[in-house]
Amino acid sequence: MAEGALALPQVRTASPVSRFIKLIPGVLMLAAIGYLGKFIEQSISAYAKASHLHIPNIEYVLWAILIGLAVSNTIGIPAVFRPGVATYEFWLKAGIVLLGSRFLLGDVLRLGGLSLTLVVLELAIAFTLMTLLGRWFKLKPKLTSLLAVGSSVCGVSAIIATKGAIDADDEDSSYAIAAILAIGAISLFTFPLIGHWLHMSDRAFGMWAGLAVDNTAEATAAGALYSDAAAKIAVLAKTTRNAMIGFVVLGYAIYWASRGQAQAVGNKAAFLWQKFPKFVLGFLLVSILATAAVFNKEQLGSLANLSRWAFLLTFAGVGLKTNIRELKAQGLRPFAVGAIGEGAIALVTLGMVMVAATAFNL
Amino acid sequence: MAETQEQPKSFQLSLDWLAVLTAVALALVVKLGLIHKVPW
Repeated sequence: MAEGALALPQVRTASPVSRFIKLIPGVLMLAAIGYLGKFIEQSISAYAKASHLHIPNIEYVLWAILIGLAVSNTIGIPAVFRPGVATYEFWLKAGIVLLGSRFLLGDVLRLGGLSLTLVVLELAIAFTLMTLLGRWFKLKPKLTSLLAVGSSVCGVSAIIATKGAIDADDEDSSYAIAAILAIGAISLFTFPLIGHWLHMSDRAFGMWAGLAVDNTAEATAAGALYSDAAAKIAVLAKTTRNAMIGFVVLGYAIYWASRGQAQAVGNKAAFLWQKFPKFVLGFLLVSILATAAVFNKEQLGSLANLSRWAFLLTFAGVGLKTNIRELKAQGLRPFAVGAIGEGAIALVTLGMVMVAATAFNL
Repeated sequence: MAETQEQPKSFQLSLDWLAVLTAVALALVVKLGLIHKVPW
């Protein structure tokens, strides 16, 4: 999961009403940028149609991200908007839960099972690769652990969870977060280009994006840049990857504790539950309700559209939270390890997905 | 070796549940027909 650099410290001590009010300007900013992206896409499309011109369709997703990037990297985000902008991850999770309405439980189990198999392979490859690269580039071992977790599981949230569990330095985690965010931003734009170049099917591309793009917001956006159907599969594959976070963090916690460099884990089941992303349960619940025909066709359409609106706010937030200057300031070595490792992981997962696409007719 | 202390509930954790509750509440609102049709 992604939550980027925008935290909410300034609203933690205020009353709930005051906190809520402080969120409003930033949420409106997300909505305005997201809607502007949608408006630009529709305007260009209408103009092309009226003028009988053949202009390639640029999805609202890309416009929303680009506008967010432009704002964040030129004028910056004024303090009054920051708490609300940081809610983009909330919209992402709510959107994923609502997206459950577009999956029958059988599809979730079938595609989720396939995703899980590929995720386990991806985890093994990613850990081995990142550990070797970390040694090769002489990174601090805990920084290597953080980069391995960030690139293999689910980006920033996984790094934060692991940082606490293995007692890593703040400096190491900020390096790892910066590297993972920068690579996530690059993947977001390059993956759809590669997918089109290889003529990948929506399902195969979605599976690849879900397996290899770090941070759920970026994986969802990469899928949505390809197609609506690809976004759906990308979310499912990424959610499966997210569900593994507890096991991976627990593994690293036990490893570092055995070396006397982190506190031992007491109740392992409680630890796993604490780290488990609960929105996965919401996604499954809504999928079960949809499978049980609780909603009619029109209601399912409405839930799918609510999910799209939630993602619209998320995509605006993806652009707004990416500050290129801050990422550059973090130094080159962790980024180089992350980029080489991620490039290799992207290639290996692409190969796995290509094989799975042929074998399972994705 | 000291055991890991129970970490304070993070924003991350409550955010997950808040997102689930919000989404389920929205689904209920749609189911009950309080929102007839959500456009896109």
